[in-house]
Order: sequence, then C-alpha cells, then structure tokens
Amino acid sequence: MTNDTLATQLAGLPVRLLHHLAKKRVPRHFRMGKNRLIQSLLTLSPDQQAEVAAALASLLQESAHLPKPEKPEKPAKPQRPPDTPSRQSPPHQRQTVPAEPAISTKALFEGIGVPSPQPFKPDDWQEEAIDRLVTNDVILSVPTGSGKTYVAVEAMRRAIEAERTVIYTSPLKALSNTKLTEFSQMFGADQVGILTGDRRDNPQAPILIMTTEILRNLLYDAASGEIDLRLDTLGLIILDESQFLADRERGVVWEETIIFAPAQSRLLLLSASIGNPDEVAAWISSIRSTSCHLIHHRNRSVPLRAAYLDPSSRLAPFFRTRDIAHGKGFVLHPETNRLFANYEEQTLGPRRR
Amino acid sequence: MPPAIHPVDLLQVLRQQRLTPAIVFLTSRRACDEAIASFEHRHVPIPTTRSAAITQVLDKMIAEYPSITNHPLIPTVQDYGVAAHHAGHLPSWKIAIEELMRQGCLDAVFATTTLAAGVDFPARTVVITQSSVRKDRDIMELTVNEIQQLAGRGGRRGKDYVGFVVVTPSPYIDLGPIANGLTNHPEPIDSQFVVSYPMVLNLLKAHTIDHIQPILQKSFSQFQLNQRADAYETKLDEVETQLETYGQRECADWIAQWQSFTLAKKRRSHHRLKTRHDPPEVSAQLAFLTPGRVVELSREHAIVLRQYRSRGQGYAMLTIIRNGGSIVEYPANAVTAVIDEIIDIAEAKKFPWSTPQSLEHAIETLENFPTRLRRLPIRVDQDGTENPILTETLSDEFPCPTCPSRPACQKDHPQAWKLRQEEHRLTKTIHALRTELWHRFQQHVEVLQQFGYLTPTCQLTPEGDWARLIRINHSLLITELIRMGAFDGIKASLLAGVLASIAHDDDRPASFHGRHPALVTTLGQVRKVAHSLAAYEEPPLLRWDIAAIADRWIDESTLPWNDLIHSTSMAEGDIYRLLARTLEYLSQLHGLRATHPGLADVARDAMDLMRRDVLQELP
Repeated sequence: MTNDTLATQLAGLPVRLLHHLAKKRVPRHFRMGKNRLIQSLLTLSPDQQAEVAAALASLLQESAHLPKPEKPEKPAKPQRPPDTPSRQSPPHQRQTVPAEPAISTKALFEGIGVPSPQPFKPDDWQEEAIDRLVTNDVILSVPTGSGKTYVAVEAMRRAIEAERTVIYTSPLKALSNTKLTEFSQMFGADQVGILTGDRRDNPQAPILIMTTEILRNLLYDAASGEIDLRLDTLGLIILDESQFLADRERGVVWEETIIFAPAQSRLLLLSASIGNPDEVAAWISSIRSTSCHLIHHRNRSVPLRAAYLDPSSRLAPFFRTRDIAHGKGFVLHPETNRLFANYEEQTLGPRRR
Repeated sequence: MPPAIHPVDLLQVLRQQRLTPAIVFLTSRRACDEAIASFEHRHVPIPTTRSAAITQVLDKMIAEYPSITNHPLIPTVQDYGVAAHHAGHLPSWKIAIEELMRQGCLDAVFATTTLAAGVDFPARTVVITQSSVRKDRDIMELTVNEIQQLAGRGGRRGKDYVGFVVVTPSPYIDLGPIANGLTNHPEPIDSQFVVSYPMVLNLLKAHTIDHIQPILQKSFSQFQLNQRADAYETKLDEVETQLETYGQRECADWIAQWQSFTLAKKRRSHHRLKTRHDPPEVSAQLAFLTPGRVVELSREHAIVLRQYRSRGQGYAMLTIIRNGGSIVEYPANAVTAVIDEIIDIAEAKKFPWSTPQSLEHAIETLENFPTRLRRLPIRVDQDGTENPILTETLSDEFPCPTCPSRPACQKDHPQAWKLRQEEHRLTKTIHALRTELWHRFQQHVEVLQQFGYLTPTCQLTPEGDWARLIRINHSLLITELIRMGAFDGIKASLLAGVLASIAHDDDRPASFHGRHPALVTTLGQVRKVAHSLAAYEEPPLLRWDIAAIADRWIDESTLPWNDLIHSTSMAEGDIYRLLARTLEYLSQLHGLRATHPGLADVARDAMDLMRRDVLQELP
C-alpha cells in the first residue's frame, strides 16, 4: 500500500477511528486535530505503518459488514442548527427518530374550528375537587385554561349555601378586578365585595376578593386580638395563582397566609402546572388539621399543537409529531430545523458560527 | 426586539390558516407598540362590519370606564382589529382589550412576555418569539413554567377544537429551550421565605418568643430545609457506620490523636527545612534585619529595604540601599554588624520596595551618618535550631510512636480522617439547615431591640405596637421617619411625594419638568436617614422625579390626568401603578390614627385628593 492511498483512506475515516489507530503509536494523539493525526500516522516508521494499514483494513471490513444504524439519521444531521437542542436537553431525553414519517404541514392544521355548543359537563377531577373540599384542603395543579375557575365557583356556591363566607385572593390587582366583574355577574353584585389597601367595597358580602397581601394583614390582625368578625364564619379561602409561592419578593406572603389561615376554613390552591405539587401538598398536610388533597394532571381540555413560522412566511410543524408529547423528549420537525438553520445562517453570519 | 417577521405578515399568515385570534408575546412594550403602529403604516384595515362590532363593545366599556373615552389607540383597534396589552397601559384600557378579546372581536393582541400572569384571556393561538427574557437587567432563559404559562393561553375551551403555539424567530430565540419548555415537566418550586421586620413585630405581638420557633417550623421554607437535612442525615448515618468499622483502638479518639501526631511531625520537618541554611549567627541576626534597619557592611553603612529568601536554596537575603543611593541585593551573612538605629521607611510591594520619599530620606540619612555608630550586641544561640516545645511534644506527649495499634492507625488514617471531616461537615450543615430560619429571626429581633421596638424580653414596646401596622417594604425607614418627626406638620402632597419615592423601585429613567425645592430638601433628609439604616434595610431609590409626580397630582387638585402624564416621560400605566401603590402606603399611615392622629389625618387628606379621575374608576 502506498503512502498516498493510505492517506486518502485515512482522510475518509471519522476522527474517532483515527484516534483509535493512533493509540499507542503516536504520542499525545488526543490533542491533535484530524489533519495532524493523519500526518503523524503517515510519518511513522515503516513497520508501524504496516500495522496501521492492517488495522485500517480490518476496521473497514468490519464497518462494511455491519448494518449501519446511523444511516437514516445522517441526512438530518448537518441541517441541525449548530447549537440547538443538544446543549439544553441531555441526550437521553431525545427520542430516537421514530419509524413513522414526520407529519406534514397540511395535517398539522387539520381540524381547526369551533365546536358546536355542548351542555356543560364537569370533568371527573372537577367533581372530585369540589367533593373533597367539604372535608379537606385541595391543591389544583392543572394546565392553564382547563377549568380551575369552575371548581372555584362551584366551591363558592356551596360555601354560600352553607352560610359561610369566602375569600378569594389573587396576586395582581388587575386580576382582582377581572374576578370582581366575573363573580358579580354570576352571584349578583351584592354578593361580592372587594378589599384593597385603601378601599373597601361591600365588605360585608359573603364573597370577598382581595390581594393575598391584604388577607395576610387581616390574619395578622386577627392573631393579635383585633378580631375581624368575618374570619369566624370564613369557610373557604381560595388562593389563585398559587405558584406565586415561589415568587422571589412576594412568595413569603403566600406562606404566611397558608400558615395563619384559620383552622376551620378550607383552603383551595389554584396553581398552574408546577413540578412539585406533591411537596406543597405534603407541606400543607403537615401544618393543617386536615390533610391536603392534590389534584394534578397535565391533560389540556383543548389539545395544543405547535408550528414554526419562518420570517419568509412559511409555516412548518414544530415537532415531528402532531401533538405535543409531554415528558418524553422531543424531536423537531426536519423542515423546522432546516428553516431555522437558514435563519441563523442569515442572521449570525458565517464567522459567528 | 421585534420578531424577524413583519407583524402584518405574521397576522396575514395566521388569518390564512385560520389561527386567529392570537396572542403575540413580544420582548418589550416598545416592540408591542411598534407592532401596532406598523398596521397603520401598511394600512390593512378589517371589514367595516367587524369594526362596527368592536365599536359596539368599546362603547359599552367607555360607559363603564370614562377614562378611556379618548384613548389614542381606539382608532387603531377599530380599523385593524389588533391591540397591545402591557403594563404601560391603564388598567381600564387593558380591561377593555380583554373584553374585546373575550367577545372575539380582535385578531391579535401583542403582549409582553414578562407579565404573562396578567394576561388572563385565552386565544386560539399563542405566538412565541423569544426563548429568553430580561429580568433585573439580566437576560434569563425562560423556564419551563414560564413557557407553559405562555402556551397555556392557546386554545379556548368550548370555542376551539385545538389550540396552537406558533414559534417565530427573533434575535432572542433558540428553539431548544422552547421545545423543551413545551414538552418537559415544569420545574419544582422552592420557598422564598424571608424574615421581615413587620413579620417579627406581628408574630411577637400575638405570641411570646418561646412560641416563635414552632411557628417558623411550619413554613414551607423549613419544610424544604428539613427535607434537605433529612437527606444529609442519611448520608451522615452512612459515614458513621463506615467509621464504626475501624473498631476500638488504644486511645479514645485515635483519628484526632493520629492527626495531631502527623501534624506535629510535619511542622517539625518544616521547621528544619526553613532554617537549614542559616548558620546560628545569621539566624540570630535575622529578627533585627527589618526594613529601615541600619547595618554595617564591611566598611560602610547601609539601610535594609527588605528581607527575603532566595528562590532556589532559601538563603536569607537582604535588599539594601548603600551610601550614594544604589540598591543592592546582599546575602544576610554579608552584614558585619547591626547598628542600633532604625529609620522610617514606608514599604512598597514592588522594586524599589519603598516609596520614593522614604528612599530620598534614607539617602539623606546615610550621607549624614557619623562614621561610628553604636552596634547592637546580638547573642548567638548555639543550639537554637530545634524548637524545644515541638521536640518535647513529639517525644513525650504522643503515645503513638510506641502504641501497639500504630501500624493499623497509620494504614487507616487517611481514609478515616476523610470520613471524620465529612462527618463534621455534615453535622454542621444539618445544624445550619435546621436552625437557619430561627437564626435569621433572631437577627431581626436584635435590630428591633436596638431601635427600641422590642424590649430585651422580646415584647413590643409602645413604639413597636404601632410600628407593626406598617406592613410594607422599607417599613423600618418609614417607622423611623415617623419617630423622628419627619412627617410632623407635613403637607399632604409632600407626604405622598415622599411615600411615592419610597414605594417606587424601578430605575427605568423618566423625566419630569420643574423641580420643587421643598420636595428636594425633604427627600435629601429622607435619603440621609435611609443611608444610615442601610445596614439593616436596603435603601429605596428615592427619586425626586417620581416624588414630583405624586406631589403634583395632589397639589393641583384640578389637574387632568392627561396633563399629568404629559409632564413626564413615564408610561401612563406606570404612573397609575405608582399612584396606586402610594395610596396603599398612605392607607398604612392612616392605619396609625390611634397613636398618630395628626399624621393619619394628613394621610387621609392625601388619599382623598388622590382618588379622582382615573384613580377612582377601579377599586
């Protein structure tokens, strides 16, 4: 075998195999790039070179015999934008490319439309939450828009029927106002009051809306003996957007509220999806007289799909599959990968990459 | 930054695919406003029937909230069916937009990503243009929670079969985090419990100090800390069982014993190494050869600038300044005699090892020296090389050299010592985790005692009894100002101005015309107090331009809202929020009417004057 043929054969090998060949023959081979590896392999003594050639031949033979598992993936690889997912998501999270073909753009946008009005039937978990609230505290950690408000409203209705008052807290004044309008429409304006730092509208109403800070202050006043009458008949405390528990500045207020909430009133925590609702439930169970029941799921009542829109107005499916798969890793659609790689190339320029 | 695609084209595509109504999340308020403006530039109106529907809903909203009657964005909303929704707008305007969205009148709302929780209305489609957001002057990647909060607005129950997330690139995007955010499990949340002064006062009002620790134990923070501590305790148990396998040795604590034995050995050898090269007469001199010392070299006098050891052999060396000003390196044994004279030399870290002034001084002194100077008699210790104390410890106190379990100790020690250190570390960590909150509480108690809000037995003083009612940020500053009488006889407008500047924690620049001398002086005094409290409480920004806004709104009781917002470059939503927060602070002062009736009345006046126009519309 001449030097030239060896050189071309070596050049065709991936660097990984070149390192394999250089092992124990080239000192400090692990520090070299491909070109220097080939050069140093070619400048070895003749008998060492013969060894390399033999090893190379056997390697090539081996790879020829083996079915190549990576083959189908290969065309996709160079298209992947240079620094996209692999960095953010650990490799084990990525699925191996499934056998079925990626979904087409047309299929992605099938089935858009307005469903015909259907008689409202509460989901099982909503019923369960309302029933549980009779005896237990409840945490609802479900996706946005899947019907937490229904549970809150139904629980309020029952509390009023039992002649108990309800306090509904939200983190933002803006949300309080929205809720005031919403609940006034449902229960009648005389049934709903709102407390803010400086204003009290209808404070004797059975449903009181306030920010969590105001409730915390009420609880402090009650604890120090300046008893606020409403707390005696308080049957239900609803804390909306409870994921604010983790807010850096205001989270402590939610904690104080939960710690000092009167024992006889039930707590209903409405929260967006969080990672450890079971931990929060365990905590509340550990400090309150009754156990805290957790209702937690990730099923959206309206399924969600994802699309990618290129600056050139081209739409492509975002994922290979039509629906968003939860917790199983992801594979981006090849078309999205291609479009995004193009976009990066145009905007970043060759040097940055 | 705007998205790479033009907003009009974006909406075009969404309309074509029947993906409207949509919420488009953009990076900044400005991007939202520019997106809306671009619809005017390209002039792509919606059909008049739809404009009419929008007008109808808007009219209803205007009847309820008169402040939006002449809102400058009304024509844009009517003509193009798009709107911006962000914190720069008035709450009433945002409510109107939300209502329009609920009625299905709009095609797209452009909102900022930062306040996704405030966007409480769904749409068929959510457009995400970024994978990172600006938070506290930092660019942070969106968390899974945040991305799911955004995506969660997509798909309306009962109105859509399916909802969509459309990802479109902008300079702040990477697909990985977004794909991860859409598919992955949300992050667990952690407690952010902090002990504050009002919390301490309120707790001690209701409970005695002995009952506080159990209450702190009830916090989510402690719950999570305990879980971590439990995990460490399991580890500690493991370490302890491992340690037990070594069994009994001759002495009670063989690990510590052997450790000090090896340490002593090491120190002795080190000691030897360091002094090996010095003959006794040199090492006796060394203690005297400090910078500034006058010495005698064979025939002339010189001054030591520094003493050091040579790199290679570790010989004692001196840097010396000779008569005439040359700076030379000498071995210490070249010194023939040490003179009983030290001159002042300011040392420096680099060559020439002292400041130029002291060098000049040294040269001058050298020139003026008489030829004979008094020598320092130095006693040479003949057997001073060995440290007597160490020798004694090594030979007498340690039983190790002759102990029967010496070989076993020698073999096991490295491993056992590591385990022992691990054990100590774990015990410390566990203790810290279990008592952290209590410790922080006690720190706050000490400060409050120092300022006289608490008695030494941790009961509330009369001062503490009213101070606990101030339950806002910067409470210590406000109560201290009250105690100093800073608010005695203050004008309502000035009080509101000061509180506004304490409440405002945003350092986004704004400008305001006209400077009010009384306000500036008062704020200057407040700033002094705030800085004197800086060790106990983070000082507020205390911006005078912010104070001036609140001051003016109260001072000129007939000033229309529009004139106020035109006198500053702040967004009207920000001004609204600033004044609403000031109202809250004022109401806390009003809560002090039992003890400070005068101040409470001024606060009441300020609140009454403040609540007009836009500020009256919403509770």
